[in-house]
Amino acid sequence: MPSPPPRAAAIRLTLLHVGVVMLVVAALLGAVFLVTQRELAREVDRAIAAELGELRERYDPAGLASLIDAVQRRSATRGRSGALYLLIDAGGNRVAGNLPAWPDAAPGAARWINFDFELGEPADAVRHPARAAVHTFDSHHLLVGTDVAQRNAVAQHLRDALAWSTLLAALLSGMVGWWYSRRVGARVRAAARACDEILAGDSAARLPARAAGDEFDQLACAVNRALEHAERQTLAARATYSGAARELRVPLHRLRMRLESLAQRTAGEEMREALGAALGDLERAQRTLATLLQIAHAAADTPLSQAERIDLAELARSMVELYAPAAREAGLALAVHAAGSCAVTGNRQLLAQLLASLLENALKFVPAGGAVEVSVAAQGDGGAQLSVADNGPGIAPAQRAAVLEPFGRLERDAARPGSGLGLSLVTAVMRLHHGRVELAERTPGLVVRCEFPPAASTAVPRGSGSG
Amino acid sequence: MNILLVEDDTEAARHVVAGLREAGHGVEHCGDGPHGLRRATTGGHDLLIVDRLLSGFDGLRIVSALRQHGGHRPVLVLSALGTAEDRVAGLRAGCDDYLVKPFAFAELLARAEALLRRALMPAAPHSVLRASDLEIDLPSRCVTRGGRAIQLSATEFQLLEFLMRHAGQVVTRRMLLERVWNLHFDPQVNLVDAHLERLRQAIDRGFDHSLLHTVRGAGYVLRA
Repeated sequence: MPSPPPRAAAIRLTLLHVGVVMLVVAALLGAVFLVTQRELAREVDRAIAAELGELRERYDPAGLASLIDAVQRRSATRGRSGALYLLIDAGGNRVAGNLPAWPDAAPGAARWINFDFELGEPADAVRHPARAAVHTFDSHHLLVGTDVAQRNAVAQHLRDALAWSTLLAALLSGMVGWWYSRRVGARVRAAARACDEILAGDSAARLPARAAGDEFDQLACAVNRALEHAERQTLAARATYSGAARELRVPLHRLRMRLESLAQRTAGEEMREALGAALGDLERAQRTLATLLQIAHAAADTPLSQAERIDLAELARSMVELYAPAAREAGLALAVHAAGSCAVTGNRQLLAQLLASLLENALKFVPAGGAVEVSVAAQGDGGAQLSVADNGPGIAPAQRAAVLEPFGRLERDAARPGSGLGLSLVTAVMRLHHGRVELAERTPGLVVRCEFPPAASTAVPRGSGSG
Repeated sequence: MNILLVEDDTEAARHVVAGLREAGHGVEHCGDGPHGLRRATTGGHDLLIVDRLLSGFDGLRIVSALRQHGGHRPVLVLSALGTAEDRVAGLRAGCDDYLVKPFAFAELLARAEALLRRALMPAAPHSVLRASDLEIDLPSRCVTRGGRAIQLSATEFQLLEFLMRHAGQVVTRRMLLERVWNLHFDPQVNLVDAHLERLRQAIDRGFDHSLLHTVRGAGYVLRA
């Protein structure tokens, strides 16, 4: 059996799924984070601006007193929690406020400033970030700000929460994706297994499908309907085959028995000769019928029976040896180039018959003095090539397809004996072996090349024994 | 010898029965499956010849039933199907030989007699086979006739071994194709005769009596 398909597809699909989910979730939550952060910052700025506005209204061009008073009051209670105030004079001296000193930036340089300040006793002071607005009243500078440590902490928490959510989403989507692709993968593998079984000859095997099904089941049902149809046709073809075999062979057999017993009882020489000729004709018809039935059987798309590992080189040597005396008698030089061994998966009888057809064709069509070469060679891809080459009259390219069909004979050979089935048998046998036949030119002559696919791509042999 | 023929084609069966009787065998003919099945398991025949395609009955059932009852009598199956599967199914069911219709009666007779003889005289594990002054030593693959060594090709040796194991019996061309070349189909040209002729040249030339004889219309026989 071929190894189960790798999980590569499931892994790829899962990774893709996780990637897409992470991207979407990260984009969404990132946007939420940015918007929230900006909104928080604006809220702080709005509060500061409002506070500053109020204090500016308290400023009396006549004197600072009410402003100082307001700043001092607010500083004491700290007003809003975390509110910061500082009023300095032109010399930079603190007039009022709860900040010990003006931050680094020069007063009046910018309207909005960000700075750090120390909170708590000097011994264990903690630096806090702050944001403030600055306003200049004639010679005095007023800073109104807010400790933003808490706001930053909120943003930090939000960022962490969003990051964890993204990770969780990725994890969940990974699990779901993996589970789903495994499920899909399992169904695809089940379908592939069923296909392998069918190829291996179990024509009753079907793709698994549930009645209340999804698209997979619909697909499986459609494939099963097609298989059903093909099986019915195959069965019909086989029934036709066995019917034809029986209905033709049985009467031929009866005829033969009759002729034989007549020939045995007849005394007259003339009669005996006629009966002998009739028996000869009968024998030819019988052989043609056998070949024709063999082709029909192969065409009925029956799985290759009794398939086993066969040494094609050994078979070629043995067939060439069998035909050697006949070739010598016909004045042909018959050679075989099939050293060592070359394994193919196939039916020994059919392959022997294929070789016999090719050799008999060569015997028939190559004139005396010609040469016939049978070669077997393993191919780089694990397949094999069997070829029979001669230096006879060859076949014109336009007619090559025709001679591969049953009874496809060339006009010039019409007078010769033979059924014209040889090459179509070769075609049928090669089709059963998932291989192909090619007729090629030789100068002069013909090469018939039979190419066998690598063993792994042919159906798994059922049973064994050459019989 | 006593032969049971189970064949529902009465016309063909008539000729087979006549031919077998002429060859000196006792023949009982059954025209249908169930009757044949009964007779096969109770009849005590030396050989069964069974048509596989009896009307409404698979002849192989007779073979299976016989084998289940421990019957070791040889069975020759006749079939009009002639596919490789059909032949293998026959051999798996326990048949000893398989013949596709139409066949020559001589073919049937030669095979029937080969089976009968094998049943009577199981092949002893001889390492040396002898026929007259011809001797073949199987382990060393040495062939001598009248003490003179004879060189044979591998195929000629296999042919001679088969003929010697069936010495005195007619061996048909088809039997030789099956047993020596393992081919179960009829080539369009006669291939066996040329090989036998070479074998004859090797073992008979230069000796005053021939061992290998052609039997017209049937095949060959190696006779001392």
